[in-house]
Amino acid sequence: MNRLQVRKVSVTYRKKTGLKPVSLEATGGEIVGLIGADGAGKSSLMHAIAGAKSFDGEIKFDNHIYSSPKEAEKVKGSIGLMPQGLGLILYEQLSVNEHLDFFADIRGIRQDSAFKTYRERLLHMAGLSDFTERQAGKLSGGMMQKLALICTLLHRPKLLLLDEPTTGVDPLSRMELWDILNDIIAKEKTLCIVSTAYMAEATKMDRVFLFEDGEIIDKGKAGELIEKVRPFSYEAAPEPFEKSITIHGYTYSLKPLKLKPKEPTLDAVFFINFIKKYGPIPEISIVHKDRDEDVPATIMEAKGLTKRFGEFVANDHIDMELNRGEILGLLGANGAGKTTFIKMLLGLLPIDDGELFLLGERIKSSDDRQILKAKIGYVSQHFALYKGMSVRENLRYFANMHHIESERISGLIREYANTLGFYRYLDVLPTDLPMGINQRFSVAAAIMHEPVVLFLDEPTSGVDVVARAVFWEMLQRLKDEWNIAILITTHYMSEAEFCDRVVLLRDGKKITDDTVKNLYQIHPDAHNFEDIFLDYYNSN
Amino acid sequence: MKAFLAIIRKELLEFLRSYGLLIVVLYSFTLDVYIAGNGINLDARNVSVGVIDYSPGFISNKILSDLHYPQFQEPVFFTSQEKLNLAIRNKEIMVGIVFESDFEKRYHTGNNPVLNLLLDSTASTQSYLALNYIRHILMRFQDTSSLAPAEIQIHKLFNPNTSYSHFMALSEFLSIITLLAVILTAAVFVKEKENGTWDIMLLMPTDAKAVILAKSLSQVIIVMVGTFVCVGTVLFGIFDLPINGSLAAFMLLTFFYAFTSAGIGLFIASVSRNIMQVAQLSVLIMMPLIFLSGAWTPVYAMHPILECLSIISPLRYYIQGSESVFFRGTALIDLWEYFAGVIVLGGVMFWYGFRKIGKLF
Repeated sequence: MNRLQVRKVSVTYRKKTGLKPVSLEATGGEIVGLIGADGAGKSSLMHAIAGAKSFDGEIKFDNHIYSSPKEAEKVKGSIGLMPQGLGLILYEQLSVNEHLDFFADIRGIRQDSAFKTYRERLLHMAGLSDFTERQAGKLSGGMMQKLALICTLLHRPKLLLLDEPTTGVDPLSRMELWDILNDIIAKEKTLCIVSTAYMAEATKMDRVFLFEDGEIIDKGKAGELIEKVRPFSYEAAPEPFEKSITIHGYTYSLKPLKLKPKEPTLDAVFFINFIKKYGPIPEISIVHKDRDEDVPATIMEAKGLTKRFGEFVANDHIDMELNRGEILGLLGANGAGKTTFIKMLLGLLPIDDGELFLLGERIKSSDDRQILKAKIGYVSQHFALYKGMSVRENLRYFANMHHIESERISGLIREYANTLGFYRYLDVLPTDLPMGINQRFSVAAAIMHEPVVLFLDEPTSGVDVVARAVFWEMLQRLKDEWNIAILITTHYMSEAEFCDRVVLLRDGKKITDDTVKNLYQIHPDAHNFEDIFLDYYNSN
Repeated sequence: MKAFLAIIRKELLEFLRSYGLLIVVLYSFTLDVYIAGNGINLDARNVSVGVIDYSPGFISNKILSDLHYPQFQEPVFFTSQEKLNLAIRNKEIMVGIVFESDFEKRYHTGNNPVLNLLLDSTASTQSYLALNYIRHILMRFQDTSSLAPAEIQIHKLFNPNTSYSHFMALSEFLSIITLLAVILTAAVFVKEKENGTWDIMLLMPTDAKAVILAKSLSQVIIVMVGTFVCVGTVLFGIFDLPINGSLAAFMLLTFFYAFTSAGIGLFIASVSRNIMQVAQLSVLIMMPLIFLSGAWTPVYAMHPILECLSIISPLRYYIQGSESVFFRGTALIDLWEYFAGVIVLGGVMFWYGFRKIGKLF
């Protein structure tokens, strides 16, 4: 039987522990989910099982025991690993057919009639039957991911390891990916291990393992896990209680409280675990700043903004408005045009067509932007900061670049570090910091010069649940205290809830632009934003 | 100005924290120059000699006693021509000397004595030099007054020991400056592209010109410090290189030259997306510049076309200027043509690189 036993497997990198000793068992026909943020140890475990990374401990699969990549060689024929990253295993210049031929060849599969039928079935399931001659580079993100999946399935692996197959994929393609998986597992009795950063996908799995900091903090069926934390979840308390966390409309507490209980989600497991380990979340506040009221109400106005890359239209006549004191969420799958749009706003990419107004001024050339730069804050994807300098040195550099008076800088750094809760990390290099701290410190670097508008490009991807919640709380306060305008892009549809207004992009086009409240009214059947967006994807 | 200083500070900090790069730069400025000065030796040294002596042996032994260390090894005697030939073919012997049986008789009677020399000319420079040494030795056994009416007195100027290590070490050091200034400058921009901080850099409310200038200057500073270290420790300390001109003039010339190289670096940075491309392009662009400069072949010995082209290699002026300062002791005022060459070509190169990278801002 396809039985997998993982016994005390741990992975260490040169400096850090990737995965503390983990044991688990699973059998064929099961979908096992690994849920957690980037760097929580999910990928490490998958690569260890696949024999792609050396590890300590022992793994048994298919009656073979191995404890090193070399010994794993004998089971590799029955394992299929799809690494993290959109279309990472694909070759842009090869067509869909050529991919299937190539993967069949390197796996040494005989191209008999049974294989041909199986191959047709896979193509059909992936909805790629009509695109067999198209080059992979010209497929959409969702299609690429489906192609990558069927390439991994081609040799009928008994153990399927999928590392974040759905991250950044549009909701419709995500549903289709799950359909393919369920179909295959039902027919082939494959054991499937899937990792995901989307909590909502836990319900699609038979069992889940929740990862944090290289450890499994809980495991079981999604329903059972939620049951376990039900007694600790309450409606948000108006005032903070001792040893409790109040966030996103919930209050979590280990001690019983006299509050109305509230139906928890899987997120609650992470919060409860956090309280057990570290106690309540340290309070985050925002440095005080006098409101300047002479800022125009409309910060940014885009009219028919268009960007083309050759034939490809990345942004197709997008109209958008960003107002003072508003968090605008720009949502969409990878490749929908979110980053392109932000880059056009910032002048990092030339505008091909359309008009852009920033702070009431029409932007025509880069000279028009020069004065505005002092009023804009920008946090780029992956929090790009200078790795060779400590947090303090980084902040000092940015303060100097923004011409802040030298006498004020040290005090300012201390103030931001204190309020945003990274004071004890001031002399640490960014590469040694947890993602959540990096995230807050890069925001500090972007707002020290007190901009009137803040652009954030995917600031929450790869950050764990608690840090993400704290981050949204911080943005909310920043908006309230400074009356600043915030434009944020994300591929987590669920984060739309925390925005004031949402713009949804799909294939470079705007498909909706409305307040969160209105969207719920238009879609009364929807339980969450995932459902709302699925409606839009389905209707087109 | 504040932002300008902040950038320089940041670049220097980042340089000091990237240990790999720091080691490479330190190595280049010390050990690499030392190895070039000490290791590359074009002198005839330890030449192996094989001898067949059919003569009675008085004169031949006198001649052989002059073949000594460090130029020659102890002569090895062979009994037949075949064995000597085989030894030369097997690279055991580089120079074979055959004294014929009538050699001594002819010498004493002044009847054109003949000495047969067999040379392995696969090591062309060495065997050629060995031949010259042997010629010199034989001269002393000849009555030279009948050949030339004058006695030759040789005065070697600027480098009295005709030491190669001085020349090689200086040449290598000047090439290293070129290479490092180019690569460091290019890397400092391309690293921002690689790490994704490029966008953030562009969004700073600082003038693009100031950013480019500050970043270039920071790398020029690193090269200048390296120059101080190299000149102080390796050139003066180890090789005892004489300096007949003014060190300040050399430093000034180096400063201008570093900016010239930085200009090439800016150009490379503007067209490369990652450090790998920087390395490839640097080699591609630098090699012709170094070849054309006269660092390895004197300019006057080049093909006429290449000689013409060498006019556009700034390294040519820099090398000639530096050699003038170190060996000839040329006064600052007389260095003007080298300064002019470096500044004019450097100005053009830096301006071009500056414009190229400026377009990305």
